[in-house]
Amino acid sequence: MSEAVLAVETPGADAPGVSGARQFWRRLRTRRAALVAASVVALLVLVALTAPLLTALEGQDPTTYHPSLVDSARGGVPVGSFGGIGADHWLGVEPQTGRDLFARLVYGARVSLGVALAATVVQLVLGVAVGLAAGLGNRWVDQLLTRVADIFVAMPLMIVALALLAVVPTSFPRPVLVALVVGLVSGWATLAKLVRAQTLTLKEADYVAAARLSGWGTLRIARRELLPGLAAPVITFAAILVPTNISVEAALSFLGVGVRPPTPSWGQMLTSANVWYQAAPQYLLLPAGALFVTVLALTVLGDGVRTALDPRAASRLRVGTGRKGGRS
Amino acid sequence: MRQPSVIARRVAAASVSLVVAAGAAACGPEDNDAKAAGNDSTPHKGGTLTVLNSNPQQDFDPARLYTSGGGNIPSLVFRTLTTRNRENGEAGAQVVPDLATDTGRPNKDATVWTFTLKEGLKYEDGTEITSADVKYGIERSFAPELSGGAPYLRDWLVGAAGYQGPYKDKKGLSAIETPDARTIVFHLNKPEGEFPYLATQTQFTPVPKAKDTGTKYEQHPVSSGPYKVVSNENDGERLVLERNPHWSAATDAERKAYPDRIDVRSGLDSSVINQRLSASQGADAAAVTTDTNLGPAELAKVSGDKELAARVGTGHFGYTNYIAFNPKVKPFDDPKVRQAISYALDRSSVVNAAGGSALAEPATTFLPDQKSFGHTPYDHFPGGASGDPAKARELLKEAGHGDGLTVTLTHSNAKDFETSPEIATAIQDALKKAGITVRLQGLEDNDYSDKIHNVKTEPGFFLAHWGADWPSGGPFLAPIFDGRQIVKDGANFNNGLLDDASVNAEIDAINKLTDLDAAAKRWGALDSKIGEKALTVPLFHPVYKRLYGKDVKNVVISDWTGVLDVSQVAVK
Repeated sequence: MSEAVLAVETPGADAPGVSGARQFWRRLRTRRAALVAASVVALLVLVALTAPLLTALEGQDPTTYHPSLVDSARGGVPVGSFGGIGADHWLGVEPQTGRDLFARLVYGARVSLGVALAATVVQLVLGVAVGLAAGLGNRWVDQLLTRVADIFVAMPLMIVALALLAVVPTSFPRPVLVALVVGLVSGWATLAKLVRAQTLTLKEADYVAAARLSGWGTLRIARRELLPGLAAPVITFAAILVPTNISVEAALSFLGVGVRPPTPSWGQMLTSANVWYQAAPQYLLLPAGALFVTVLALTVLGDGVRTALDPRAASRLRVGTGRKGGRS
Repeated sequence: MRQPSVIARRVAAASVSLVVAAGAAACGPEDNDAKAAGNDSTPHKGGTLTVLNSNPQQDFDPARLYTSGGGNIPSLVFRTLTTRNRENGEAGAQVVPDLATDTGRPNKDATVWTFTLKEGLKYEDGTEITSADVKYGIERSFAPELSGGAPYLRDWLVGAAGYQGPYKDKKGLSAIETPDARTIVFHLNKPEGEFPYLATQTQFTPVPKAKDTGTKYEQHPVSSGPYKVVSNENDGERLVLERNPHWSAATDAERKAYPDRIDVRSGLDSSVINQRLSASQGADAAAVTTDTNLGPAELAKVSGDKELAARVGTGHFGYTNYIAFNPKVKPFDDPKVRQAISYALDRSSVVNAAGGSALAEPATTFLPDQKSFGHTPYDHFPGGASGDPAKARELLKEAGHGDGLTVTLTHSNAKDFETSPEIATAIQDALKKAGITVRLQGLEDNDYSDKIHNVKTEPGFFLAHWGADWPSGGPFLAPIFDGRQIVKDGANFNNGLLDDASVNAEIDAINKLTDLDAAAKRWGALDSKIGEKALTVPLFHPVYKRLYGKDVKNVVISDWTGVLDVSQVAVK
């Protein structure tokens, strides 16, 4: 999500109003890949929200052990073919514990999606606030905030997150903590720089000057005149942040600093599954597949959103006469 | 005897595996007896044995090594007064003479021990080994710059507590006498019937004073064993040993030393080691590992392949994983609560979490299930294989927790299948059935270790494990249950803070015994008696499964180390 990529789709001053939103939906609808991706994302969210119902339907829960369903003499590999898949356990059971994999996968979706979305909200709020403040503030505020953003852009996310997650007491609710750490350390600074640049451009627009002349305060101008113009790049950026955050949560859980057992998350499932790739492949394939599908769907959807918000990119893609570069 | 420090004990566990590490046996001790006697009647002499390890052979100096029974690879270079019996299974847990003609002759109350060296013992340069060299070797282990060994010598030898080693104190230790070149006498400050076990450690290796280079000695220690050091790179990361021509099999009944060369390569990832051993290609066909077990997933794969399954050595090292209670913390001050947890525990889940029945055996006794420890079977709170939640609820009701109980279980976040989250969550699930809600407190491994071994920070309910420095009840029970070994400021291993006069007195009485079989029986009885107090819940004893290469023959795995003995291996 480099700035260069994003710069292409900053659509200047044509702020989408009511008709803009309608136009956006119309454009998005014509992109089949984006629609499929949107349905997949909707389905995943639905699955995450209804996890207790789904597992109740299956008659299982994500934490109960079933020692009789694993072959203790062979390291705890699931009994039966394809990892113990059957009417009782739709996706088989976890090696060593016999915990139901379907239940763990759908409950894992709650953590993975929930943490990613929460982190995205943190990133958006922080990025827009800092970006606007820098763009509208005086030279000193701008300098200071830009430097701070630079520092955060340069920060190695995984290392800082590892350190932070290691020092916070275990009593702090883990998923909230992971969302906060991911949100506060990564993503927002790049967004802030983007918003600042866009704000500086919009600030010079005639309608903003007019608003200022008619005596509006900075806050009101920001809210009423600038935010609508920022919506397109911010939404596009968010669409890229969500899949990134899902991957980061998975990586942190994989490294053992994410959510704590017995709470399942896809990353945590990948950690315990990675040694089983030969003996019980489905155990590894399930979380890996879920992660893959989710990130792919979100990325395709993000791409669709970006194109739908940027008529120039859309026409370029269609006609193949796109101009290069953009403003920033 | 006293407990080693936290670090020391960890090192012990590590070196045990290093030591022991040798490798893997064929199909378990039972089968191996037949095998050793039958198939491998004339093992091939010569060739190169490759050892693939994850941990390097650091500090390869007999003063600095912390070993059980003299170690596995160290034992190829360092001979000691006594050593472990190099036989399969139970017989391998015995202590036998090495440099000495016997396992030591005690005086009446086991405070004075006399050893006589065999005749014709030589170093790698052909010079003769003398009792003064053994004394010097022990003295230099007291030097602060050569620390690392077990603390027993400092605790047991008369007037040794403040000794700073021969570099600072030329007079040496008066507690060790060498009346002639072949006799050595030890004076102890209390009766220690298990002194012969201690004399297996590498500190009892002779070191010629003229060749001592201090901290540089580890680069090329003077060999008394069948192999000498040819090269030692990066502090034991690669260690190459070759035959020592002056070693004589006539003086050494224990080491077979079939290969001409031993090539130890360390710093490898455990999955790489197991992958290479299963592929067994090129030099890896004549390879073993002395420190890497098969994990549950690897075992699942290996057990489905006949060719690989035939190349797995199974061993039992005296070790217990258990739940520890601190009775100073509520609600664990109430024996009924501790008993309820004992009843409710589902050992089959815990065993599965530890890798399944092939890698862990359910434990109901604190002592390992081996004869040399004096194992006496008991199960004071019988919950069966999968626990008795009904009985547990009943006890909780009596204790005033009829409407449930919430407790916190402290564990480490290490990925070791011992005190790790996998075990903790299995316990959490089992106790749920008895109405006990378990909150998990996972700590980073060092933090965890510091917390549980400090009386001020010790949690009420946590996962722990213990392995002994030698296969006897003494070093297994005394550090954990002897009230005088509660350490107020420092590493404490008496988790239950038990200070019971009758227990302490029995420990003293057994230490006086020099008949090790008689002592073992009494350790077993004492274990059962302590078990009634429900200060611990024994969970499981680990089983070691290790792969070895196609061309590896004469696999011997003793109950002392639980791993293939490199001194016995032959390669084709």
